[in-house]
Amino acid sequence: MQLVWLEARDFRNYREVRVELGAGLTAVAGANGQGKTNLLEAMYYLCSLVSPRVSSDLPLVRAGADVAILRGEVATSGSRLLIEVEIRASGQNRVQVNRSSVRRKRDLRRQARAVFSSPDDLAIVLGDPGERRRFMDEAFVANWPAKDGAAPAYERTLRQRNRLLKDWEGQVGSGGPPGLEGWDAELITNGVALTELRAEAVERIRERAASEFEALAGPGGGTLLVAYQASVSGDPLADAFAAALDSRRADELIRRTTLVGPHRDDLGLVVQDLAARGFASHGEAWGAAVALKLALAGALANEIGQDPMLFLDDPFSGLDPARRERLAGGLAERGQVIMSVPDLAQVPPGAAVLGVEGGSVAQE
Amino acid sequence: MFEGPIQDLIDELSRLPGIGPKSAQRLAFYIVKAPAEDARRLSEALVAAKDKVRFCTECFAVSEGDRCRICRDPGRDPTVICVVEESKDQAAIEKAGVIKGRYHVLGGAISPLEGIGPDDLRVQELLDRVQRDGVQEVILATNPNLEGNATAMFVAALLRPSGVRVTRLASGLPVGGDLEYADEVTLGQALEGRREM
Repeated sequence: MQLVWLEARDFRNYREVRVELGAGLTAVAGANGQGKTNLLEAMYYLCSLVSPRVSSDLPLVRAGADVAILRGEVATSGSRLLIEVEIRASGQNRVQVNRSSVRRKRDLRRQARAVFSSPDDLAIVLGDPGERRRFMDEAFVANWPAKDGAAPAYERTLRQRNRLLKDWEGQVGSGGPPGLEGWDAELITNGVALTELRAEAVERIRERAASEFEALAGPGGGTLLVAYQASVSGDPLADAFAAALDSRRADELIRRTTLVGPHRDDLGLVVQDLAARGFASHGEAWGAAVALKLALAGALANEIGQDPMLFLDDPFSGLDPARRERLAGGLAERGQVIMSVPDLAQVPPGAAVLGVEGGSVAQE
Repeated sequence: MFEGPIQDLIDELSRLPGIGPKSAQRLAFYIVKAPAEDARRLSEALVAAKDKVRFCTECFAVSEGDRCRICRDPGRDPTVICVVEESKDQAAIEKAGVIKGRYHVLGGAISPLEGIGPDDLRVQELLDRVQRDGVQEVILATNPNLEGNATAMFVAALLRPSGVRVTRLASGLPVGGDLEYADEVTLGQALEGRREM
């Protein structure tokens, strides 16, 4: 899959810009604060309709403008997609693919597939379990865009059930708030669906991440073990979920919150036999974060039969020269890769270069 | 912003569900331009609706009198009750003309986030009716969403001891629709509920 060209107007610090992109590796080079990440963000937004950095669209619109416009063309093995997005500072965005409007985000996402790696991914390795749950959810939605409702459905059930427990005024011995059975059933249905999706996504990433990490770390550089740590497991899962809820019922009534379910999942990351979160060095942690995203791209390529577009924002930061070289060396075989580097000296050999300065781009 | 009464009207209209500031403005200017007679009829209808519309003492649907048209109709089967969330759901089902029995309007669905619990719904009244009228079947026609499902589950559990037959509306594909446009969740449910041919 390839982004062939991109036009952005009033997006972040770009007043108006157009870039043409090759099928292989492109390096976006420029000093800090010139708009490298913004350019990558625009490309990724065009394909996925979400920003990898912010959850609200407001910061995407250039200060002083009402609407940001992104246009671009994605070539897949079977078709060409002309994607046009109007991002409004307030109100509904408009999205058109090949001149007809798109109602749901997933209608675009299942056609244009992209993976974004950014320095913020360090939080997947070093941050709270919530960051890793988010990554697992991102991973299954990337693989199966049709399942993008699974996590929000579970989240909503959980909030309803927690509120019920919290607002309950009865005594612990009296059997719990009325209506709890109904929410138990919904929690189990939606929780089982989410658990199964995460398990399947991690299964597809696990070994790929290990070999990506090894390739990056080089001989003697250690290993990365990835394992899904589900809050509920068993077969059949629904029965195990019901049993787990049952056994924690008394606790739940005392603590007034839901204690069982995928909101308590984690993703185990072990580097060199030690938990990455507490023990990995900065370089190792970043290596693990990049390996996870590269593994996701690999899993996606396997799922859809072609390489997704891969965006790497500042992937070299925190890596020693040997690791940089190993990472750069592997990028040639991954389809279209667009990366940002703060220094022309870091541009890998053979890469096309886009020079970014103060919101304008020079094609070299 | 406009001055005086027109702005008041816009403000009032935009408080209605589904009416944004732009629609409110369009409606307000339409009303102001329309003949005085039209505006008076609208205002009278509003007042009359608020004063005269009542809720059926039996099924709690909106009604003009004490008991609604359906509960008064001796031709309707009193042993079948179709449970819905709101009066508008009853109207939708009634339009299809498939229920020969009567209705029961719960007045919403259980949603702890909105502070709606079982006590805020007409659940006890439903149980009383089932006991009193020798009801054979209760059809749970709450919305097929999270809150509707949880409510159906809750009501079904309460009805179980009475031995009455409890059924739930099926979820699946819309008639006359195209498979390719069905969303995945609906398609999955339709597959689960498939029937032998």
